[in-house]
Amino acid sequence: MYKRKWLGKRGVPLGGILVGLVWFGFIQPPLLLAQETPTANVVDSTNILADASAAPVPLATTELYFEKHVRPILKVHCFLCHGEEPEKAGGLDLRLVRLMSTGGDSGTALVHGKSDESLLVQRIIADEMPPGPKKLNEVEKQTLIQWVAQGGRTSRPEPEDPAAARFTVEELEHWAFQPIRRPDIPSTAPSQNDVGDESMGAIDRFVARKLHEQGYTFAPQAERHVLLRRLSFNLTGLPPTTSELDAFLQDGSAEQAYAAAVERLLASPQYGERWARHWLDVAGYAESEGQVLNDRPRPHAWRYRDYVVDALNRDLPYNKFVQEQLAGDQMIHGPRDANNDEHARLLAATGFLQMAPDLSQTEDTLLVRNQAVADTIQTVTSAVLGLTVACAQCHDHRYDPISIDDYYRLRAVFDPAMPIQQWQLPSQRLVDMTNDATKAERTRIEAEAVALQDDINARRRAHCQTIQDREILAAPEEVREALRLAVTTAPGEQNADQKALLEAHPKVRSIDWIVGQLVEYDGPAHRAFQEEEKKVVAIRDSKPLDRQLMSVSDRPEPVASHVMFRGNPSSLLHEVHAGELEVLTQHRANRSVINPASSKRRLEYARQLTDGTHPTVARVIVNRVWQHHFGHGLVRTPGDFGLNGQRPTHPELLDYLAHEFMANGWSLKWLHRQIVASRTFQQASAVSLEVPVAFRDAEPTMSENVERNVGDSWTMDPENRWLGRVSLRRLDAESVRDAILVASGRIRLEVGGPSVPIAEDDEGKAVIGTRILRDGLFAGIQDAGTAANRRSLYLGAQRALQLSLLQTFDLPEMKPNCQQRGSSTVAPQALLLMNDSWVVEAANHMAENIWAKADSLEGKIDLAFRTAFACSANAEEVAQGLQFIEQQATLFRQDQDPTWQQQLQEQPDRDRRRALASLCQMLLASNRFLYLE
Amino acid sequence: MKQRSHECGAHGLCSRRHWFQSSAFGLGSVAAAMLLGEDGLLAQDDDGRLKKPLLETPVYDLLPKQPPRPARAKAMISMFMMGGPSQMDLFDPKPELVKRHGQQFTGDISFDNAAQASRQIMGPQWEFQPRGKCGMEISSLLPHLAEIADEITLIRSMHSAVNNHFPGFFAMNTGGILGGRATLGSWLTYALGSESQDLPAYVALTHPAGLPICGGDSWTNGGLPSLYQGTVVRPTEPRMFNLNPPPHLRGSAQAQQLAFLSELNRQHAERFPGNHDLTARMASYQLAARMQLSAGEAFDISSETAETLEMYGVNNDTTRDYGTRCLIARRLVERGVRFVQIFNNGQSWDHHSAIATELPNRCREIDQPAAALVKDLKQRGLLDSTLVHWGGEMGRLPTIQVPVGDTELKHVGRDHNTYGFSMWVAGAGIKSGYVHGATDDFSHYAVQDIVTHHDWLTTVLDRFGLDAQALKFEVGGQKLAMVENPSAKVISGILG
Repeated sequence: MYKRKWLGKRGVPLGGILVGLVWFGFIQPPLLLAQETPTANVVDSTNILADASAAPVPLATTELYFEKHVRPILKVHCFLCHGEEPEKAGGLDLRLVRLMSTGGDSGTALVHGKSDESLLVQRIIADEMPPGPKKLNEVEKQTLIQWVAQGGRTSRPEPEDPAAARFTVEELEHWAFQPIRRPDIPSTAPSQNDVGDESMGAIDRFVARKLHEQGYTFAPQAERHVLLRRLSFNLTGLPPTTSELDAFLQDGSAEQAYAAAVERLLASPQYGERWARHWLDVAGYAESEGQVLNDRPRPHAWRYRDYVVDALNRDLPYNKFVQEQLAGDQMIHGPRDANNDEHARLLAATGFLQMAPDLSQTEDTLLVRNQAVADTIQTVTSAVLGLTVACAQCHDHRYDPISIDDYYRLRAVFDPAMPIQQWQLPSQRLVDMTNDATKAERTRIEAEAVALQDDINARRRAHCQTIQDREILAAPEEVREALRLAVTTAPGEQNADQKALLEAHPKVRSIDWIVGQLVEYDGPAHRAFQEEEKKVVAIRDSKPLDRQLMSVSDRPEPVASHVMFRGNPSSLLHEVHAGELEVLTQHRANRSVINPASSKRRLEYARQLTDGTHPTVARVIVNRVWQHHFGHGLVRTPGDFGLNGQRPTHPELLDYLAHEFMANGWSLKWLHRQIVASRTFQQASAVSLEVPVAFRDAEPTMSENVERNVGDSWTMDPENRWLGRVSLRRLDAESVRDAILVASGRIRLEVGGPSVPIAEDDEGKAVIGTRILRDGLFAGIQDAGTAANRRSLYLGAQRALQLSLLQTFDLPEMKPNCQQRGSSTVAPQALLLMNDSWVVEAANHMAENIWAKADSLEGKIDLAFRTAFACSANAEEVAQGLQFIEQQATLFRQDQDPTWQQQLQEQPDRDRRRALASLCQMLLASNRFLYLE
Repeated sequence: MKQRSHECGAHGLCSRRHWFQSSAFGLGSVAAAMLLGEDGLLAQDDDGRLKKPLLETPVYDLLPKQPPRPARAKAMISMFMMGGPSQMDLFDPKPELVKRHGQQFTGDISFDNAAQASRQIMGPQWEFQPRGKCGMEISSLLPHLAEIADEITLIRSMHSAVNNHFPGFFAMNTGGILGGRATLGSWLTYALGSESQDLPAYVALTHPAGLPICGGDSWTNGGLPSLYQGTVVRPTEPRMFNLNPPPHLRGSAQAQQLAFLSELNRQHAERFPGNHDLTARMASYQLAARMQLSAGEAFDISSETAETLEMYGVNNDTTRDYGTRCLIARRLVERGVRFVQIFNNGQSWDHHSAIATELPNRCREIDQPAAALVKDLKQRGLLDSTLVHWGGEMGRLPTIQVPVGDTELKHVGRDHNTYGFSMWVAGAGIKSGYVHGATDDFSHYAVQDIVTHHDWLTTVLDRFGLDAQALKFEVGGQKLAMVENPSAKVISGILG
């Protein structure tokens, strides 16, 4: 039976100190094909085929070294039991070759030069080890066999203490852990082709150099209308309006028009909304706590969303942006003042640390609390550091030089704000920062509401008094006085005669009773009072919102932090002090030890992150901005800059941009300007319809130089790593909906405020509105009025309740955050664009607007194209459109629906208008609309 | 020397159309190139320039394809029991557990939740009896399954050693332990296409109370072309939104719309050679149009006979949902759908606590419909060509888990066990009335004829005439495979 022993609570050896660890040879970063633990690909792929089934493996000619070839395999498969944990399975430690020779309970594991006598090799090739179904593959086994056969070499003498070999020099030398230095800007490239150009900016020079190395050239500049559509979507998430398009195209100077469009878009509030969406993805913004079945809402989460929109719109420097989100509460000087909007803003910023799923409100256990903290750490580290630190929660990171101690040191920065032993429930963490003026206004309005309600109540009572009088009058005169006395006597004090009398006159009741049953006595009066009471509701609704903030603050009492054995919060090991991951401090003068006595650990940490010497913070954000402009980052794993992630395609460009970004005040708008001004950004996506002759007909025998001139990145670089064009991208979910709203002319661009509610309708579709319940039963959806036409950013963001339209187009669910969106292509998307009533209605609106604006049918078709694609229809398209409209109109005239036939009689052009709507709908359903060049 | 992506005629003239057709880089290459990942994966020549990836133009579609070997299965229905049904209470009787109920377990045991761990042995609380002619022992919690004991193979020796639900699910359905890998249904449709061009090739049927915990990763195409992604069919009516055009667009009006759209998209796609997403989306409109005509009918069980509805438990509140979904699964398979997976919500078999009441609740919902599915497939002659699977990603421990310091039997549960668990399979040439493998005396570790998740997936592919070691998605010298474990083998013992 192969079973790992359950270890008791014992200290694990700590390799916290990096000094003295520098001894290993070079290791290739693990080359990951699929996403599982790398097996086939750990080995240097230039030497060995990364293919388990390929045999024989050409290893014999390669000189194999433990550090470079063997250790990465053993680290993944063996180190946990045979090295890292205090109790070594079978007494065998595989972390050093020396210790393999020493061996364990079964004797020596390694006989140098003799793989058939080495127990290590034999157990592994027999698949006896490692236990469990995951065995070494053939390449890994062969590597091991050959390495032993070659004598079991190490690159250099091994250290005394195996714990000192926790990280290798190659791991520490990984590119992302090195300081950011400003690289030299390449001079223009060799002149035999057009990749080099004296006037080129820095970005283009870096890109041109790579293109040249690969034998490609820049694609031609995109057409002007393509550029405007790209700019508009990239900077604001919205398409250009037709008037924006016209102004842009009519400007005699293309360059001036472009520069002006950039400034206009960056200055528009929609810029902040768009880029907030990108940040909210990595922050894991959600308006619910994350329970699967009972997903409790977070009604105040939108304050954090608005903070982000505002920060981006005023171009808050990114270093400040990070500091505020991690420690805004600690940046407030003096006592918190609800009248100080800046205080409220800083507190709202820390909503960043409150976005992770947190189920403790309904299930307050240590494990649930711990999960909320772990998710928060995962969000922070993936968002800001760009590393998968969370892997080190249970054991040393399998690929990156991040120890379990590192993890808990980093977590200790945040522990005072979310100590799992002194937990505060989400509801207890809300801070009321409603200012005095608002409070006073709320009080005043409440008083007004109460006054009106009191007045209504008094008048209603008076009216009920007249009803009572009337009912008494209806009784025989002789009993009226007795009746009046009886009905005004409290029921407990009525005597038997009085009770009998009242029973004999059932309509004579107390005023209270009549008030409650007024609808029975006097329906019209009842409804009139009800109508008046709506005014009370309206008055209350007019109250300015109170300002409840999801934020964090440190507990006053000291909070100790410990390493948790295998991540178990009930199994604490030694105490740790707050600090940055060691590997990120290796080249920094400030060794990032955070004063354990500091009352502002988070602020100290945030400042260290943004002091300009941190190796990943600036690279990560620059990469994200690049990613959203081009579809992929320069590092294509935006949340993993570690050894398991991808390396930058353009490392020097990344460093150049990161360096200059910091030098230019960490300004995101500065960065956008650099990128969108580049030739790289302005390239075409599409193959020109006038395909260059050389591109099409180049003979395979052409000389190398000519070859380089005709580089065609579409076919040779399908994933566009070298940026020889701009990749075509499908619009994300929000952009699809927002663009349809723009095309239909109905979009509402108010900024900020509480989210527009989402509810499930009777068929289970999530729509905009609120459920109407009568007697607890579903009775329809109360629509949200014009708020239903607000941008998708402002729609309710419950994790479990996403607008069906957005969900269909791959809106991510935040568990806990999202680094890069997926983009699927499934039939339900097609069905939605073909049949969904919202889409059909949007197309109708679009067509009606166009019908009113353009005169001729040709003009209408052209305007429809310009509205949907930001591009005029060409002659062929107009002709096709005309033909389609005539065909459809003919069909529609045959529609025998009586209402329709009547409309047709009243307005004879209805058939063509409906046909135009039908055309508009197809434009909205087309790839040209759904994809961005 | 760069290889040209196309050959031109003697005159060097290519129509745009010709150029597009011949040089389109192929649907899969973009996806594949994305998988090439690191610099080193795209092989480089001596100048450090990228070597050219393959330039043939693989075509990806859902047309039916012949497997390399004769197939026993044409379709598969997987009833996935997310959470880990308790094998010693349902499938794997252990007298030793009954005998030692309440005693301390002294052997080697692996807990997942150490905080609530206990070594107190808990015997099964439900009686086992021999069932059918084969005498297979099944718990009284599954009386309907007992009726089809002679139709199924019960595997009692499942072993994944992949702890926790997400990794466990991925292990059983993708061969790996992380999310984002192509799922079994994607591999099958990639390899074999679909017998139906009017319905999605790969369907996921989700529970009314919510998605399985892995969400969209439960039916993702991973690195395979997006054509092979599972399509979710809703748990309640309407089974799919937007299946009906608005009245004024029904029929010819929409057909004309789609013809117009198709021309727009064709012209657009010409300018983006090799963009497989554009072509997949064009195909998705064609599928959508056909689905409008056929999907509604496929999802509509009202034409089924009263006996059939009764057999599936559609008339009973407890079994209505699962019965309906099992029946829809049968209807889909009948109409040529390749792979259907039926999910429960979240991880609702994950009985860490209150197993005494919760386990019977789950069983009551699924037992009758699951058995009815096998009976129904058999009576329609579909069982021979349909592989039916019932099982989860793990099993449970022989000892109690104590949720809140309360050892009362009605409150306790069982922790995860990935070293020994059970599942059953039927159809497609699998033995009937057969029990495969065994666990130790406590139903903790599989000890005899151990079946790993890789063995299971290999066996599934084998039933479809596919070789797991050979099934690859391959572009530019790079390969994706579902089963990456070279020692995985077909479970030959269960084959009839």
